[in-house]
Amino acid sequence: MRVEQHPILKFSHGGMIKFYFNGIEMYGFEGDTIATALYANGIKVFGHSAKKKRPRGFFCGIGKCSSCMMRVNGVPNIRTCITPLQEGMIVESDKYDLPETAPYRKPERKTMDVDIAIVGGGPAGMAAAIEAGKHGDVSVLIIDEQPRLGGQLIKQTHKFFGSSMEGAGKRGIEIASEMEEEARKYADILLETSVIGYYNRGHHFLAAVNKLKGIVYEIKAKKIIFATGAQENYLVFENNDLPGVYGAGGIQTIMNVYGVKPGKAGIIVGAGNVGLILAYQLLQAGVKVKAIVEAMPRIGGYFVHAAKVRRHGVPIYTKHSIMEAVGKESVEGAIIAQLDEKWNFVLGTEKKIDCDFIAIAIGLTPSARLAQMAGAKVKFIREAGGWVALHNEFMETTANGIYIAGDAANIEEASAAMVEGKIAAVHALNSISPLTNFEAIVEELRNEISSLRKGKFGEKARLAKERIYEGYYEELRGNRSG
Amino acid sequence: MKSEADVVIVGAGINGCALAYELSKRGKDVVVVDRRHIAAGATGRCGAGIRQQWSTKENALLAKKSVEIFEGLEEELGHPIGFRQGGYLIAIHDEEDMKQARKNVEMQKSIGLPVRIIDREEIKEIVPILDPDGMKAIAATFCPTDGHADPFKTANAYALAAIRNGATFYKFTEVRGIKVENREVREVITDKGSIKTKFVVDAAGAWSSRIAEMAGIKIPNKPVRKEALVTEPLPRIFDAMVISFRHGIYFSQMARGEILGGIPSPEEKIGYHFEPTWSFLKKMAYMLGRYAPILKGTNILRQWTGFYDVTPDALPVLGEDKNVRGFIHCHGFSGHGFMIAPMTARLLAQLITGEKLDLPIERLSLERFEKGTVKEKSVVG
Repeated sequence: MRVEQHPILKFSHGGMIKFYFNGIEMYGFEGDTIATALYANGIKVFGHSAKKKRPRGFFCGIGKCSSCMMRVNGVPNIRTCITPLQEGMIVESDKYDLPETAPYRKPERKTMDVDIAIVGGGPAGMAAAIEAGKHGDVSVLIIDEQPRLGGQLIKQTHKFFGSSMEGAGKRGIEIASEMEEEARKYADILLETSVIGYYNRGHHFLAAVNKLKGIVYEIKAKKIIFATGAQENYLVFENNDLPGVYGAGGIQTIMNVYGVKPGKAGIIVGAGNVGLILAYQLLQAGVKVKAIVEAMPRIGGYFVHAAKVRRHGVPIYTKHSIMEAVGKESVEGAIIAQLDEKWNFVLGTEKKIDCDFIAIAIGLTPSARLAQMAGAKVKFIREAGGWVALHNEFMETTANGIYIAGDAANIEEASAAMVEGKIAAVHALNSISPLTNFEAIVEELRNEISSLRKGKFGEKARLAKERIYEGYYEELRGNRSG
Repeated sequence: MKSEADVVIVGAGINGCALAYELSKRGKDVVVVDRRHIAAGATGRCGAGIRQQWSTKENALLAKKSVEIFEGLEEELGHPIGFRQGGYLIAIHDEEDMKQARKNVEMQKSIGLPVRIIDREEIKEIVPILDPDGMKAIAATFCPTDGHADPFKTANAYALAAIRNGATFYKFTEVRGIKVENREVREVITDKGSIKTKFVVDAAGAWSSRIAEMAGIKIPNKPVRKEALVTEPLPRIFDAMVISFRHGIYFSQMARGEILGGIPSPEEKIGYHFEPTWSFLKKMAYMLGRYAPILKGTNILRQWTGFYDVTPDALPVLGEDKNVRGFIHCHGFSGHGFMIAPMTARLLAQLITGEKLDLPIERLSLERFEKGTVKEKSVVG
């Protein structure tokens, strides 16, 4: 199940690591997560649900969906998709007895006091850290629950359009490693550490946990930037919880970051840019793409991406969707059918496609919950991808000193996320100690972001931002009069 | 919106919903108004325990009558309420506790409760994960007919049964004023319209003093922020609710296996403070680990806050106001509203329809605060 040949990526796997899955000895590589190591060993089913015994596997691959949880070294409910594989690990499924064997040790407590805490080390978070470090003499901390920095950039093998400032012409993976190097100069970095809560203790305060190492961090911060990204949307159809039904990003993660194939042949639901790019990346990794289905009458993504995929003989069915995933313990096929004007399936148009995975590429929802816990008012704004934290042009939310940037603020793309991160950082910096050239820096960043949001493809983002700003100022006025 | 009703109830918590049912059963035209939705306030945030072990006979009797209703409630309402009787296990920490416990048990037995004092061995038999040393418990009292119900299901079941009887619920509707003329309730004014009525019931929980104020009535209630948390689901271990009046802790295992509990937060605050605290999380985790060491590695899924509507003696205020006719007090439950709601609702329905009351409620009138009262000792959370 490992990717053997790839036109762009080279997987220099580390040393072999021995681990145990339900008592069976297996091997993975250094750098694998538990989930990718299991996958490389052909294990798709990670367990069964406690009550209805439905098979479970991973879906999102980035620690957001909780579908991949297993018992690891006696500790229950470990998210295997973001937990690095270690020598001798005991990985178990279907364990629902009391964690008697859990090796409880009193967690180590560490307190920190920083100027700017950034939650999330993706493009927005890293850009914010770099910008803050460049313009001011402040302490910056990035906290991320993944084993490495880069967020979703580390799985983007395609070249970016965007603006040259944000690395257009380069591949996401290249941008990620350049930014990481830069960010490490300016910021302290806590990886594999989950922020579990925001608390106002007279000052901004974050509680964070490194579960496997057993460390609790108590972090006091002057300003906080939430660059917490997004999570993949799900689709309702029969058997949609079977292992082998993945988020598009989940596939990109195991394939492009860890060099593990999601299966032999699959279909993709959604012909937006993510679906189209994923199809091409699957082909590059030597995985068959049997079809792309799109509920809309038209392909949503860029023409160049669609053309590339079509050239490789992948059929794109518009006005089609998935009815059912077929299979007992994991996906063995998919039934797709045509949709009528009212989005109902047209009976008699069903097609069965043999495949061992189904990729869901139907968009993202901002992860704004931590910001909400920090007091940011949220509102449902369709154009922005769902419930979003209201914020102003400086990315500050309705809670003083709490910022949001990137996909967490509204669903856009990496270049815009980086500029948003920078704007948030500069504003945070300026309110800690005023910058002499604040206006000029912001002006430049503003110009950059509006050029990114030009034209037809920027329309949705422009509309979303308008409504977010509107909501923010409405909220401020409401607070004053109330 | 309806322009007229026999009774307008403010608040769709457990008390508002239960009263709507009891009144609609008696043929009254009832309207329930809530700023949010059913069980959005304290009801949906509570520990949902049902306890009969009280320190005064009146309270114990009220709770016992409530349990009798709970026992047949699913059948009566026609909807599930998740009621089960796993008992309440109340820690006794020292000789002083023991003295009070003996007194309580004697009184509770006299009204027919099957309560008894159990030793440290039996504590572990009833709740195998408890560590009496960590609890610092020398014994406990246990009443097997105490229990638990699902607060969302129960409130909803009452509401659905009330609607079936003709009651109307206006959700996301805010009361803006209460018109009083000649010391009589005339009209309830909301942001969606006005309803003429002779009776308005203040069942607004932590916001009850704001509603009373609209009718020119001052009540001594204070909203106190309380916190709770829930762990990941565990296999079924125990059925009882474990509590300690000394430590203020309570916890039990829910239907899906998660442990739900609370303890007074070191940052406990009076006023409308919604934010959960880090100090609560730490204190509760620490105490849970002391009471049940095996839970030390367990993940906490969620923490949240809610409000106790607290009176000076920690007892509810029930009955018609002495100065404003038709204004019915149904508040001040001080953290125990859920467990006694079936009975308090029945009593208030009897009062409003002029029936004979099953239990006297004069001792719970608003006027008692002028004379000075005895505080209920058996309080947790």
